[in-house]
Amino acid sequence: MAEGAVGGRRHASAHAETIQLMQKHQSSGSGSSVLSPTVPTDIGETSQRHRIIEAMIESCAEKTYAATTITDIVSRARISRTTFYKRFGDKRSCFAATVDFCLAELQGAAREAYSPADAPPEAVRQATVAILAQMAARPAMAQLLTGDAVSVDPGVVVRYRKILIPALEGLWENAGLPASSYIDPGLAFSRAQLLVFNQTAAGHSDDLLVLLPDIVYLAVAPFGGHEEALAQARLARSANGKPAARR
Amino acid sequence: MSAPEDLRKWRLPRGRHGLPRELVTRSQRERLLAAVVRVTATRGYEATTVADILEEAGVGRESFYELFADKRDCMLAAHAILVEDLEAKVRAAYAQTGPWQERVTNALAAALEWFAADPAAARFTVVELAAVGTVSRTRFQDAFARFVELIDEGIEIDGAGPELAQATSLGVGAALARIYEEVVLERTSELPALLPDLTYEALVPFLGEEAARDERERAAAIAR
Repeated sequence: MAEGAVGGRRHASAHAETIQLMQKHQSSGSGSSVLSPTVPTDIGETSQRHRIIEAMIESCAEKTYAATTITDIVSRARISRTTFYKRFGDKRSCFAATVDFCLAELQGAAREAYSPADAPPEAVRQATVAILAQMAARPAMAQLLTGDAVSVDPGVVVRYRKILIPALEGLWENAGLPASSYIDPGLAFSRAQLLVFNQTAAGHSDDLLVLLPDIVYLAVAPFGGHEEALAQARLARSANGKPAARR
Repeated sequence: MSAPEDLRKWRLPRGRHGLPRELVTRSQRERLLAAVVRVTATRGYEATTVADILEEAGVGRESFYELFADKRDCMLAAHAILVEDLEAKVRAAYAQTGPWQERVTNALAAALEWFAADPAAARFTVVELAAVGTVSRTRFQDAFARFVELIDEGIEIDGAGPELAQATSLGVGAALARIYEEVVLERTSELPALLPDLTYEALVPFLGEEAARDERERAAAIAR
């Protein structure tokens, strides 16, 4: 899995968003003259919000949310305190926006990873691979979602559950396949989250992809059952090209 | 749930009592550790102050600072004792003789009972720890690794298929994720009822579908 490609896509998508915004403004403007200004003013705001969110992600990875101060964020983002408070009321709401941003990135990566024609186990494997690749490309983001997000608001595990179950269920239901396991699908994310958090806490955040087969197993097992999950884990492992190291 | 016992009842008498200094310190320390667990579990780590802990424990500020550097230090000391106790209970259950899969079920049952027995301690141990900062990452990781190592040591079967690198981590993770969620949703006392499903989840990577279902049935009989 080319990590650079994933990181590159992230920046590319932020850039694409900006261009989209500009085009929207151009088409909706009265466009009376070639000299009419086209650069919309809210691009500045979007960019500031984005820089603040990035600063929050990095600071949390380095010193946890609890130890992060507004000063840390504004100096990393190279913006003024006033700007910070204009964009976000306080540290907590900035953090909430950061979690939303990270989740949206992962959901986006997952959605792009498979096509509706794929069989559910295949689709789940591909989405899982994409999510983990995204996390591996941004270890700080992985750390934030699996560590700080949970410690700041333990209820976030319930939110993860609400995102995940309908997504997984939908895939299987559309294919007319019943769930075939005693494994609670809602816990798949929490369990994967623990493995990722454990790996980053152990200082191996650069090597999240070793978890790939196991996390694919976790994602497939609740609906596909043990055998199907093993088969998908095997595929994920060979695609990743790394032999499983026993731990 | 019955109201917890007032820790201040354990205060030693005021005035000259001729008790050795060591005993006095021990009494204070014990009350402070019990107090930090209770207060933190109710209010959350962030909102808890040293004054709250002193009030709950019936210990003076000066004595507190002779024993602990700050709130965090006190919290971490209590946490270490709790995790050690949990580990001892799980280890004892796992050490009983019998087939490996039954020992795993016993270990899981012991863990679920431990958490269910004291919801405040449960919340303190798995939820509030994260609020103390980077040291919580190490704490968590160390404990997780010790439980995985414990189960790994005793594996008597060929093990999971080569597809999974961390089958034991999956089992430990299954239990922990479940415990965490039940604690957050304040259903801690109902944890023991989850033994059958957790047994299945922990063992299926090792035993395969059929045998894991049998173990699930057996666990259901234990869980009543």
